[in-house]
Amino acid sequence: MRALVTFVYLFLYAPIALVVLFSFNAGRSASEFTGFSTMWYGKALGNTFLITALQNSLMIAFTSAVLAAIFGTMAALGMQRLSSRGRAIFDGLFAAAIVVPGVVIGIATLVALVEVFSFLNPALASIWPGDKPPQLGLGYGSIIAAHGLFSLALVTMIVKARIASLGRDIVEASSDLYATPFTTFRQIVLPQILPSVLAGFLLAFTFSFDDFIVAFFVAGSKTTLPIYVFASIRRGVTPEINAIATMVLVASLLLILIARVLMQDKTTKTQTGE
Amino acid sequence: MTKWYRENAPITAENLTDEWMRLKRGSVTRRHFLGVTGLGLATAVLARQPGLFNSAAYAQDLGTTMSLATWPNYHDPATFEAFTAATGVAVEVNVFGSNEEMLAKLQAGGTGWDLFVPTNYTISTYVKLGLIDPLDMSKLPAFSQASQSARFTSEGAIDAKTYALPKNWGTTGMAVNTSKIKTKITSWKDFFEVAMTEADGRAMVHDYQLTTIGSALVSLGYSFNSIKPEELAKAEELLIKVKPHLYGINSDYQPGMRATDAWMTMCWTNDGAQLNRDMPEIAYILGTDGGEIWTDFYAIPKSAANKPAGYALLDYLMTPANAVKEHIANGAPTTDSRVLALLPADVTSNKIVYPDEASLTKLEFGAAVTLTDPARAELMARFKSA
Amino acid sequence: MPLAPDRKRQLTTAALVAPAGLWLFVFLVLPFMAMVVFAFGERAPEGGYQAAFTFAQFANLPSRAAAFWNTLMIAPIGAFLCLIVAYPVAYYLAIKSNPKYRLVLVSLVVVPFWTSLLVRTYAWMYILGSRGIPNLLGMIGIEDVRLLNTPGAVLLGIVYGYLPLMIMPIYVSLEKLDRRLLEASADLGAKPVSTFFGVTLPLSLPGVMTGVALVTILLLGEYLIPQLLGGGKVFFIGNALVDLFLQSRNWPFGSAIAVTLVVVVVIVLSVAMRIAWKVSGSRQVDLV
Repeated sequence: MRALVTFVYLFLYAPIALVVLFSFNAGRSASEFTGFSTMWYGKALGNTFLITALQNSLMIAFTSAVLAAIFGTMAALGMQRLSSRGRAIFDGLFAAAIVVPGVVIGIATLVALVEVFSFLNPALASIWPGDKPPQLGLGYGSIIAAHGLFSLALVTMIVKARIASLGRDIVEASSDLYATPFTTFRQIVLPQILPSVLAGFLLAFTFSFDDFIVAFFVAGSKTTLPIYVFASIRRGVTPEINAIATMVLVASLLLILIARVLMQDKTTKTQTGE
Repeated sequence: MTKWYRENAPITAENLTDEWMRLKRGSVTRRHFLGVTGLGLATAVLARQPGLFNSAAYAQDLGTTMSLATWPNYHDPATFEAFTAATGVAVEVNVFGSNEEMLAKLQAGGTGWDLFVPTNYTISTYVKLGLIDPLDMSKLPAFSQASQSARFTSEGAIDAKTYALPKNWGTTGMAVNTSKIKTKITSWKDFFEVAMTEADGRAMVHDYQLTTIGSALVSLGYSFNSIKPEELAKAEELLIKVKPHLYGINSDYQPGMRATDAWMTMCWTNDGAQLNRDMPEIAYILGTDGGEIWTDFYAIPKSAANKPAGYALLDYLMTPANAVKEHIANGAPTTDSRVLALLPADVTSNKIVYPDEASLTKLEFGAAVTLTDPARAELMARFKSA
Repeated sequence: MPLAPDRKRQLTTAALVAPAGLWLFVFLVLPFMAMVVFAFGERAPEGGYQAAFTFAQFANLPSRAAAFWNTLMIAPIGAFLCLIVAYPVAYYLAIKSNPKYRLVLVSLVVVPFWTSLLVRTYAWMYILGSRGIPNLLGMIGIEDVRLLNTPGAVLLGIVYGYLPLMIMPIYVSLEKLDRRLLEASADLGAKPVSTFFGVTLPLSLPGVMTGVALVTILLLGEYLIPQLLGGGKVFFIGNALVDLFLQSRNWPFGSAIAVTLVVVVVIVLSVAMRIAWKVSGSRQVDLV
C-alpha cells in the first residue's frame, strides 16, 4: 500500500521535477540538458511578452475571481430567499455553467460576441461624434466574462452549501433581537461563510490562471500565460518556460504555506479560547 | 594616382557592401563605417532634418512591441534581436501550421498581428475579404521590384496594387531519415506506400489541407490542386487508409524528426535544409510525380495595431544585408537577385535549397480555390477526426 | 413613505441575485442561443457563418462519429483508470496515514495543480519521446519503442492530469467515514477484506461517484491532452471543434457539434446522477 502510494506521488512529481531541472539548463533546448545555469530566469524576467502574458493571466484570474466571489456570495445569499421555482432556475443555470465543457463555453462566447460586435461597431461608429469611434473587440473583457461564468457557479455552489449547513435559526435569532439585516449579515453570517468564500475565490483563481481552451477562443489579440506556453510548444520550448513555471510553482507554494500558518494560528487561538 | 587621392576616392559598390556587412555584424563601429564610406559629413548635415536620413519608416513612433505570425522554424532569432536593438521594438513571434489557421484567426477578428506570412495562393482571398490593404511602398525603400523574380512574386500584386512582398520561395517535398528507411523513395506514391510498410508508425503528414490532400492527389496521379469530387474521394480513401500507420499529423515535424521519433515526413525546403544541415542522414526529396512549389509573402493585416512597426520590420527584412542572414539561417531560396548575389556559394550550390530546374517542372503552385473550397476543408477535418 | 417590509425584502433579494443572473443570461444563455441559431446556418463561401435555415449541419454529424466514439470510449476508460490509481491513495490518506502528516500529504496531491497543466504535459512529451523512456529501454536492448502519439500516451496524460480531482472527493468521503464502523466490523470477526468490501467501499461510493462523474464530464470536452500527447491522431470532440473553428472555418457545423456535445454531456450526467441516487437512496448517505 505504502509502496503504491509512494509510486503515485513519484508519478505526480516526476514531470514537475523535470520542469524544474530543465529551468536550470544552460542550453537552448528544454529537452537536452547541457549544463547548469540560472540564465533562463533572467531571460524569462526580461522577456516582455512572457511577462505581459503572466501579468495578463494574473490580472484576468484576479478580476474574474473577485467578481465571482462577490456576485457568487450575493447570489448564494439571495437564492435562499427566492421562490422554489426561481431557485430551480438558478440551480439549473449554475449547474450548466459548471458542466458545459470549456471548449463549448469558448465557442459560444466567440460566436455570440463576434455577432454582437459586428452589429454594435457600425452602430457605434454612426453615432460617435469624433473621428475615431472605439472598436469593440475580443480581449480582457471577454476572457474575464467567460472565466467568471464558471467561477461564479463554483463560488455560489460552495457558499450555498455552507449556508445550508448553518441553519436558519441563528439568522432568525439575530433578527428577533432587532438587529438590522446588514448587522446580522456582517456579524453573524459573514464570519461563518467567509472561509467558503475564500475557498471559492482560490479555486476560481486557479481555474482561470490555468485555463487554456476558453481563452484560446475568446482572447482576441491578448495573450495569457497558457496561450503563450501553447504557442511556445509549437515554436520550440526554451527553458524560459520552465523558469517561469518554476517561479509560479514556488510562489504558490509560499502562498499555501503562509495561508497554512495563518490558519493554524487562528485554530490554536480559537481552541485556547474555548 | 597619388596615395592621397586613393584614400579619398569614393568607395566602390563592393566595398560599401563589405563595410555594410561588417557594420551589421558589429565588427566595426558606426563611426568607422561612416568615416570609411565618407558618409560622415552628409550624415551630420542630414541628421538635423529628421525623417530624411533616418528611413521614413523608422522616423515614426514605433512603439515598443509588435507581433509577427509566421511558420515554424522560419526565421533566425538573431534577426529579431538585431531589429529590437536597432528600433527598440520587441517582436513577438507566433507560428502556425497552415494558411487556413491564419485565415481563421483573421476572420474571427482581433489577432494583434502587425505582420504575417501568407503563401502565394491565399493573397487574392485576403484582398477579397478586405483583411489586408495595399502596401504603402514609400515606407518600404529597401524593397526593389526590379531585382525580384517575376516567376515567384506575381501573386503579391492585384490590379497593379502591391498587397504583399515576397519572403522566399520553396518546395514541398519529403524528408527521409535514410539510416532508418532503406527503401529508395522518389515519389509521393512511394511516400504513402512506405508510410504503411517500412515506416509504419513513423511517418508524418502536415496538419494542412493544401499539402496533405495535394500530395495524396499527386500520388494518385491527379493535380495537386484538384477539387473534383471523385478525385478528392480517392485521396480521402488513401489518407484514411494511411492514417493508422502515421506517427503524427503536425506541420511542425522538426522535433519529431530530430528525436528520430519520426523517420519520414512531408517537408518544406527550409525545414529540409535545416534537418539535413544538422543530420546529414536526413535526405530531402522532391516527388518525381509532382508536388508543390510556393512563395511565401509578408503582408500587413488591416487590423494591425502597430502598423508603423509592421512596416519597419518589413523594410528591415527586405534589406538585402538582413535578408541574406535570414536565408542562410532558414535555408529557403530567395526571390531577390540582390540577396542571391550576397549568399555564400555553399548555400547557392545546395541542391535542397536550389534544386535543378528539371526537378521543378512537375511541381504546381497552390491554387486560390483550395483555400476556401469547403470540400477540401471538410475532407481534411474528416481525415483528422477519423 | 417607507417601503412595506415585504416589498423591501423582495427588492433586497432581487438586488442580491441580479448580478449573477445577468451574468448567466448574457454570457451563458444568450451565447448558447446564438450557437443554436448558428447550428442551423450555412458556412459562408470563404468560411465563417452565413444566415440560413438548414438541417444540413446536423445531417453531417455522422462524419464526426469517430471523434464522438473516441471521446465516449476514452473518457470513461480514463476516468476508470484514474479511479483505480486514486482509490488506494485516498484510502491511505484518509485511513492509514499518520494524522500528523495527513494535511501535508493531502496538500501534496493538490500542489501539482499550481504548475500549468500545459507545462506538465509538455514534460510528458519529453518523457515519452525517444529521448525519454524509449532511450532507457534502448539501453537494455529494447530498440525503437514508440510511446508518444498513441492512445496509451493520451490515457496516461489523462490519468496524470485528473488524478488530484479523483483523489480529493474520495478522500473526503472516506475521511467522514465513522471509524467505529470499521472497529465494529473487525470486532464482529470480519476479515479486513470483507470489512473493506462490506463497509468501507459502499460508504465511500458517493465520493467515488462524484469523482468519476467530475472527471468523465471534464474529459468529454478535453482538447490539450489528445492534442499534445496524441499528435493529432487521437482525436476528441474538443479537437474536432477547435479544428472546425480554427482551420476549416465551418462555424455552423462547429456550432452543431458543440450543441450535440452539450446534449451528450447532459445525458451522461443524468445517467450518473441516476446511479448516484440509487446508491445513496438505498444506503442513506449524503452525496456531497
